[in-house]
Amino acid sequence: MKVGRLIGACALGFFFFLFVAIDLVLFGVIPLNSVLVTLLPLIGLLLVAVIGVVSSRGGGAAPAEQPPAPPAPAA
Amino acid sequence: MKTIRWVTAGLLFGAVMVGSGSPAAAQLEGECSGSGVWKDSDLAVDAESVGDELVTIPRKDTVDWQGSVSGPPGEYSGSIWIELPPPFGKVEIDNWGGTSDNNNNAGSEDYDLPKLVPAGVEFKVVGEHTDSNGHCEGYVRLEIEGGAFDSPIIWGALVLTALTGGPLALLLIAMVKSAVGAGIGGAR
Repeated sequence: MKVGRLIGACALGFFFFLFVAIDLVLFGVIPLNSVLVTLLPLIGLLLVAVIGVVSSRGGGAAPAEQPPAPPAPAA
Repeated sequence: MKTIRWVTAGLLFGAVMVGSGSPAAAQLEGECSGSGVWKDSDLAVDAESVGDELVTIPRKDTVDWQGSVSGPPGEYSGSIWIELPPPFGKVEIDNWGGTSDNNNNAGSEDYDLPKLVPAGVEFKVVGEHTDSNGHCEGYVRLEIEGGAFDSPIIWGALVLTALTGGPLALLLIAMVKSAVGAGIGGAR
């Protein structure tokens, strides 16, 4: 995965979890001064970063497909 | 901000001295007392007895408040504020200071909070007051009567959640697919 795409995904993760935290506050699930409001965006950022790095490593670690073996010479 | 200032001052305290302010909150420490009565909704809050209970206040009402400290305050100062999530600190609602010999005060205040202030959200309002009698501080947990959809803010929050959640989900699916695809390719 390209670095630019990973940073973009991390930013999206940060803002998505930030808005989820705001929704939780507005629905009265957590109080306004809860530490979760601060932690959730950071958790989102880290979560997406980890998924991005793991997926890019998985792609990079995959061995290239071997070309088919040449036919054995006739005896 | 003026309406919020008055409702919180009225709720928390009623403990604003004549010429001084003495916040007496739900959880009180120090030599002060205060109470408030909401006229239309028949709600009464005594700062010392309400404890850690969540107080639900109407969006619009009139509060009769009263408060006192143990003796003539002399030189005094204090403030009340809303606590924000750490590390953002606080938003100050009001502060006061001066010199006075009067140790009690009472009054009545109308308030009408705008629709933009969300209902059903738990706020922690904290206050402190210092004078020649010592230091008094406390807090109250309060929310405005109603539900999340009483304020237009919720629609903005939900739209922004969807606008970020949709692309994020697509990106995550693409990431996982590429990882799984690479894994399957490597397993051949």
